[in-house]
Amino acid sequence: MSEDRRTIVVTAIGVVSPYGVGFRLMSKALLAGRCCLGPLQGFSTGFDATVGEIGCLTPIEDLHEFRPSRTDQLAIRAARDAAAISGLEDRAFREAAVVMATTVSGLTEIDPALVLDPLAWYRAGGLARAQSYPCSHVADAVGEYLDARGPRFAVNVACASGAIAIALGANLLLDDAVPMALVGGSDALCPFTLSGFHALQALDAAPCRPFDQNRGGLNLGEGAAVLALETLATARKRSAPILAVLRGWAMTNDAFHLTAPHEQGRGLAECMLLAMERADVAPDDVGYVNAHGTGTLLNDAAETRAYERAFGQRARPVPVSSTKSYFGHCLGAAGAIEAAVTISGIRAGVLYPTLRLSEPIETPAVEWLTGQPRRQQLPLAMTVSAGFGGSNAALVFGAYSE
Amino acid sequence: MRSHSPCITGIGSVSPFGIVTGPIPARQMEPRAISAWPTAGLRRAYLVNPFRPADVIPGLKARRLDRLSVWSLVAAYLAVEDAGLDLDQIIRSHAAVVFATGLGCLELTEAHFRSASDNGWSGVDPILFPETIGNAPASHVARCLDLRGPNITASCKGLGGECALLQAASLVRNGQADFAVVMAGETLTRSAYEWYEASGALSPACFDAEPREHRTGLVPSEGVVALVMESADLCGSRGARVYAAAHSGHFAARANIGGVIRKVLAGAPPSGVALVVSATAGGVDLPDAVREFFGDRTAFAEPSPVASGMGDTGGLLRLVLTLNGAPRGALAVLASAAPRGACAALLLESP
Repeated sequence: MSEDRRTIVVTAIGVVSPYGVGFRLMSKALLAGRCCLGPLQGFSTGFDATVGEIGCLTPIEDLHEFRPSRTDQLAIRAARDAAAISGLEDRAFREAAVVMATTVSGLTEIDPALVLDPLAWYRAGGLARAQSYPCSHVADAVGEYLDARGPRFAVNVACASGAIAIALGANLLLDDAVPMALVGGSDALCPFTLSGFHALQALDAAPCRPFDQNRGGLNLGEGAAVLALETLATARKRSAPILAVLRGWAMTNDAFHLTAPHEQGRGLAECMLLAMERADVAPDDVGYVNAHGTGTLLNDAAETRAYERAFGQRARPVPVSSTKSYFGHCLGAAGAIEAAVTISGIRAGVLYPTLRLSEPIETPAVEWLTGQPRRQQLPLAMTVSAGFGGSNAALVFGAYSE
Repeated sequence: MRSHSPCITGIGSVSPFGIVTGPIPARQMEPRAISAWPTAGLRRAYLVNPFRPADVIPGLKARRLDRLSVWSLVAAYLAVEDAGLDLDQIIRSHAAVVFATGLGCLELTEAHFRSASDNGWSGVDPILFPETIGNAPASHVARCLDLRGPNITASCKGLGGECALLQAASLVRNGQADFAVVMAGETLTRSAYEWYEASGALSPACFDAEPREHRTGLVPSEGVVALVMESADLCGSRGARVYAAAHSGHFAARANIGGVIRKVLAGAPPSGVALVVSATAGGVDLPDAVREFFGDRTAFAEPSPVASGMGDTGGLLRLVLTLNGAPRGALAVLASAAPRGACAALLLESP
């Protein structure tokens, strides 16, 4: 297979975030250092929560008998945004795969009354609402509303889902199974997940401070991002704009604990090393890492150890930041949104800092980015994700030059 | 056999057919009456008999896990045992788990909702939430078997099992894994069963124990099937017994099943296919055109009601029900049709 057919490129990006709809809008807000974390307003939970919430959403119309959940609606908007950027109306798009990550899916549509008497709840209108419960519904929503007819599936690997969806979409292209893959993730805020993280005492009631020694937990967010992936050969053939090159990707598992990461960051470090090996780059070549950086005690400590293992041999510390400090942790969408952030940094030549990071975890391996955004050429950057269940994913993106 | 094709070398399952190592001998199965929750009269389904996990896998600790996680663990252990794999001989970061489920860990998700109903959202039981996440079963398998490679949980309307097989084959083919535990399954709970009932999808056989010749609708089912898939290199180097090699496969959300089968055959004559295994979901049958395409010399294994009742993930069970009787040395196609024009085909070869 020719190199052009093995090189995976990103030709469109659509984003829905608390900043609004659009990749450029998000990039502009990040550059301005705008934090959109605030008190939860959309529904009541009985406890205080700081979240990255998307305000007013114009509802998306039902399509035939297809009733989109809030998570579906975010995904459809992001996909439409991507389609609008790239003009994805040709055959490649019709045959495209859709690989969407989600952890919440249609849980937004279910309330506790369901379990008291399911049959009665369904007959009182719940039947249509419950149709969006399976995670596959998010992939189907994107496919149905955009009429993409290739393989469709959803990825549900907790907080690593978004990055894993991108990796699996790239695999479909390597397999020559499809001419294009629409990949990404979508998750909406809902009482179920908020209550779960609250019960685990993982939430910070104030805006989160990833990698700070005084960090107090995470803030949940909501949003969606969809990337169009193609081989370089297909993109060139149809003269598509090339936003970035997906140079390498890897997935691993800690095989350690359901909720705690391996203390030494074993799985995440191996994942980063594998991604660099597959991208054929050295640790010194990586100009920036967009961290998972949730703000929880366990994650940030383990992730720091992982950077020491993966980048400890570099001549200089690796620049790292967590952009969850701007819009929270979007769970299944996080990896896809942060891939978009990483590409934004590559394209604009900007390294976005972590907000509110005043006393970083001490380590010689990492240069924690704080303060103002740093302007510098960024030919190669990595984004990493990790999640409950011990799953890890790392994506290496590079700038595209003719 | 094409030497580079990933191979299926181990099978384990927890299903209404029992707890089985290796292919499941096909047999008729009657649905059983549901007693796990209150029902308005007789309600029947294909159910997994309750069992103690430690009786099957000595030392297995499964307390507080969702049944889907428990069954996944048991099925995965049995599949690895069946494959005769010495896990100490493999590179752990190249050992994958790929799991497909439509509804996930429903039992504990319902418990979380019940906890919220009783105590409010601010008072839910912290034990429950982590075990409700969709990837909990695959994660427990990775943790217990120390499999540190890609760990994927996928959900695909009507074609979950087929999707998991294809993702695993892709990981193996692209060098991202040397072997994968591929699993697919569901558990039946009250909210799932009554969803089928409210939507009018249940077969009359769910309400009535009288035998019927022409049954329509769905009899819900549950269980988990696990396969071990290995690279041809690993398989060859250890001289593993091979159930089938997975040569090619494709699926699409809206496509003609005939076109998908042609793509999978890649120019090979349909007359060379000895068996077509029909794995349908949601009451969709393979069109007659598929039979005409293959011709009279190809045998057709009809859909299994137990596999069809497993919602999105019955494809693996259908495959495992067929591997016993598959002719040796022959090509077989697993052809799957699902609602709204979704379909899949996999070209397999028994050695």
